Amino acid sequence: MVGEKKWYIKLITFLLLAVGTIFSGFPVLWMFLNSFKPNSEIFAWPPVWISDNFTLNAYAQILSDPEKIRFFINSYFVAFIVVILTLFVSILASYSFSRFNYPGKKIINTLIISVQAVPPITLLIPYLSLVVALNLYNSYGALILTYLLFTLPYAILMMTGYFNTLSKELDEAVMIDGGSRFRALWTVLVPVAVPGIVSVGMYTFMLAWNEYLFALALTKTTEFRTVPVGINLLMGQHAYEWNQMMAMSILGSIPVLLLFLFFQKYFIAGMTSGSIKS
Amino acid sequence: MKIKNFYNKGILNILLMVLAVITLSGCMGSGGDSDSSSETGTNNDNGSNSEGDSDEITLEFQQWWGVELPDGVLREIVDGFTEETGINVELLSNPYADTKTQIAAGAAASTMADVVGLDGAWVYDFAKQGSIANLSTLMDDSGYDQNQLSDQIQVDGNTFMIPVANFAYPMYVNMDILEEAGIEDIPETRSEFTEVANTIYSETGKAGWAIPLSTESPSGIQNNFMSWLWASGGSMLDNGQPNLTDNSDLIDTVEFMKGLFDDGVVAPGAYAMKEADMVEEFTNGRVAFMIDSLAHLNTIQEGAPDMNFDFVPVPVQEGFSGESGMDVANWGIGVAENSEHKEEAWQLVEYMMSPEVNAELAVYANAFPGNANADPDYSDADDLFLKAYELYQDSNPVNEFTGLPTSEELMRTFAEQLQLYIEGDTGEASEMLSETQSIWEEAFE
Amino acid sequence: MTYQNVNRGRSKKRSGYLKKKTEPYLYLLPTVILMVVLLVVPIYMVIQYSFFDNVIINDNPVFVGFQNFQELLTNESFWVAVKNTLIFVGGSVIAHMIIGITFAMVLNTKYIGPKLKAMFRVIFSLPWMFTAAVIAVLWKMLLNPNGFINFLLVELNLSSTNLEWLASRDLALFSVTMINIWAGYPLFMISILAGLQGIQSQLYESSAIDGANHIKNFFYITLPQLKPILISLILLDFVWTIQQFALIWMTTGGGPIDATEILSTFIYKQGFSEYQYAMASTSAVILLIICTIVAIFYVRHQRGQE
Repeated sequence: MVGEKKWYIKLITFLLLAVGTIFSGFPVLWMFLNSFKPNSEIFAWPPVWISDNFTLNAYAQILSDPEKIRFFINSYFVAFIVVILTLFVSILASYSFSRFNYPGKKIINTLIISVQAVPPITLLIPYLSLVVALNLYNSYGALILTYLLFTLPYAILMMTGYFNTLSKELDEAVMIDGGSRFRALWTVLVPVAVPGIVSVGMYTFMLAWNEYLFALALTKTTEFRTVPVGINLLMGQHAYEWNQMMAMSILGSIPVLLLFLFFQKYFIAGMTSGSIKS
Repeated sequence: MKIKNFYNKGILNILLMVLAVITLSGCMGSGGDSDSSSETGTNNDNGSNSEGDSDEITLEFQQWWGVELPDGVLREIVDGFTEETGINVELLSNPYADTKTQIAAGAAASTMADVVGLDGAWVYDFAKQGSIANLSTLMDDSGYDQNQLSDQIQVDGNTFMIPVANFAYPMYVNMDILEEAGIEDIPETRSEFTEVANTIYSETGKAGWAIPLSTESPSGIQNNFMSWLWASGGSMLDNGQPNLTDNSDLIDTVEFMKGLFDDGVVAPGAYAMKEADMVEEFTNGRVAFMIDSLAHLNTIQEGAPDMNFDFVPVPVQEGFSGESGMDVANWGIGVAENSEHKEEAWQLVEYMMSPEVNAELAVYANAFPGNANADPDYSDADDLFLKAYELYQDSNPVNEFTGLPTSEELMRTFAEQLQLYIEGDTGEASEMLSETQSIWEEAFE
Repeated sequence: MTYQNVNRGRSKKRSGYLKKKTEPYLYLLPTVILMVVLLVVPIYMVIQYSFFDNVIINDNPVFVGFQNFQELLTNESFWVAVKNTLIFVGGSVIAHMIIGITFAMVLNTKYIGPKLKAMFRVIFSLPWMFTAAVIAVLWKMLLNPNGFINFLLVELNLSSTNLEWLASRDLALFSVTMINIWAGYPLFMISILAGLQGIQSQLYESSAIDGANHIKNFFYITLPQLKPILISLILLDFVWTIQQFALIWMTTGGGPIDATEILSTFIYKQGFSEYQYAMASTSAVILLIICTIVAIFYVRHQRGQE
């Protein structure tokens, strides 16, 4: 009886694996293939799989352009700093939410969450004015603080959930030994919470890496431009550099992909605890 | 004791770090600024002119032209300005749509660059907002000879934009498709065009005509729809006000367009198509006719080196024999009201408009110069380009959307109403036009 | 927490008390400072704009009370946008959940080894790696009337004509929703996968003894165990999808006509094309109210779990 069941469940599983691979992988494969075609063949009918005029031109053009390399460096730099700051600030806030009860906690918690409900496009103009007033316009600082603001609500939510799953006895043990709460947080809780921290870090990295609207509005010179803005530079008023756009996206996704591969173990584990109480 | 100290230090550390973050960002902000000015300083031949010299002025020039022109051309052109005047220019080049978003946001937050590239469709709104400077005053102050300008875009009698380069929109035709369909005569009237488009469709299965009507960038209404009206001497305005209701020329044009759609000879996907998509369709040999910017000539030649295509005049209404209007889009230039160096900014405008520079830019851009005295050297240009140039000179350049209030929105609402009519939601062309008229009038109040 | 007093003795009691009172707030301080400095002013300005005549364009805007709200709520286009937003958000969230659960269950299978599983996890997460502009361009290519999807359909004899996925009024909203589903499901999948791994295997073992089959297991063990994470995800996804702008703007621009006009494209057009910042702010305030209500539910739900 059990054997029979296994047989059809196995079949369904493999079918679904195939469907999922096509669904998620095919568009990306198409993007990959297009990055090797000359522009003129991208819209050919019937579609061309691998062009007779296979070319690495698109990649060469991007990698030989110092301005575009700069976009990549900027994106890494901004995303990296944002990850560190988000983690630091959200760990502190989550610790407060997780370990204390105090007046105003619920209100602050609600506000932090509802903040992410404000549509960014509507904030754009007043926010830009504020950034100009703070003398941050056209700087890494503007981008870093903005993304920090975007990622904090989710990061705090996840981290609070994660800390909630960790026993209070952990930090109390440190305090009985004569350590402070602050030390308990960093020396005991944080090391145990590494999976959660990695998952928040990945989410933060993705957001900072892919954000476009504020990257466009808050900077104006190429020195501070990020990859998404750079990709849009390839969309001219009249003609698009399709293959270069595809190549740049592929190049942009590789580091994210590597990070994802590297951190996946933690990542998967980390996502659980953010939302589930064991 | 120790515990407390540690604790206090901990909290103190947090506060210090937050402060550090904020000040650090501040430093990076100002650091970035000074960085950028020194990087672009190209005028260093003279040793005393050290970096950070307070006398050194750097103008920012925000435009989308750098993206459209061959790499480095615009840089080269403005370097000439720096050589002449000692004023540095930093180019802020972004794609057309992004430039618009940036200028619109910059207008509200006063972060506009000193000199900005403008589209005729934006001028009215930025002028009304007071975010672009009145060029009439600047011209008077510097005693500029305005007669050399082929055109000036005015709002309430003052000039706010000067066209630097003009892009003609002739009709492209794929001769290979015509041959395949066995067509020998180029259509000269609208009914001949409809007939030819139908023949092409039935003989080859290819589209006779393409029009980009995406509501994201609705310029197809200006360049691909109104071109038909203007070619037959029609007008959508009367004394600067919308004149759509009962405009018989427009009714004919709208009905003609619906006819093409009803016959199924228009390239599929028109409602989500943008200009770039239409060009891909044409380059891939799936469309026989399109009206498009002459600036595309090289892109198409590179994309389809074997294709045999040509330029022809836009077919006209039956019985029309006057001078045809040809749609012209332009790269305009203006000065930001929030600029601290308006005088120098005007110098840059003057430089860009000077006959030699203007001619050089026009040649690179496949455009026609905005300075009437400029004599661009098209001798190296393609024969096709020269043919289009002839067509342009034979017709009357026109673009009625330039300088209208919320111009882009006018095109967008027209596009929506046109689609409703084509889809059959609106019964009559006259009904569609009077509906559009009432929407347009709100913008003109 | 009485140990503190023990440790410190009576003289420190007062300062210890004070410290205990302020300590949680100090941990929150960086977050609160950031939010106050960077968000309070802009949000306040947006709310203020919504009560004025044409702001920004006009140097001296006039206070008009609720007139903007009245005008907006009687605007037909606004309600079309609301309707489309509901379809777009509803479709996206439901599909995200279904696809997320299915793929997560498949990835949680016992039938493939850990190396292979890791590979599939990466493949299934691919859509997450790309910025919205690229996703829009990619799908515009695939869904082009002469694009790959139509080629496939025609080759497989599933369709006789080339469909206008993004340009037909009947299909456009469906197509952009599909694109958004594609772009957004990995976050669901990964979160649910994590949730699945958190379910204790004893639960399944005991049900196996009772003779329950897979379907029963799914409805009586898996789903109830996932419920808290699903509700969190649905609420978060609601808030995120309602703000989706780039994907729709860059594929259809809200068209054809108003077939894919959602609130965020509607707001963008008002603000950046019509230069009606007051009206754009008014729409934003309405969106803010809706999302805040959802956020309150979310916090309630979070608290309920504690």
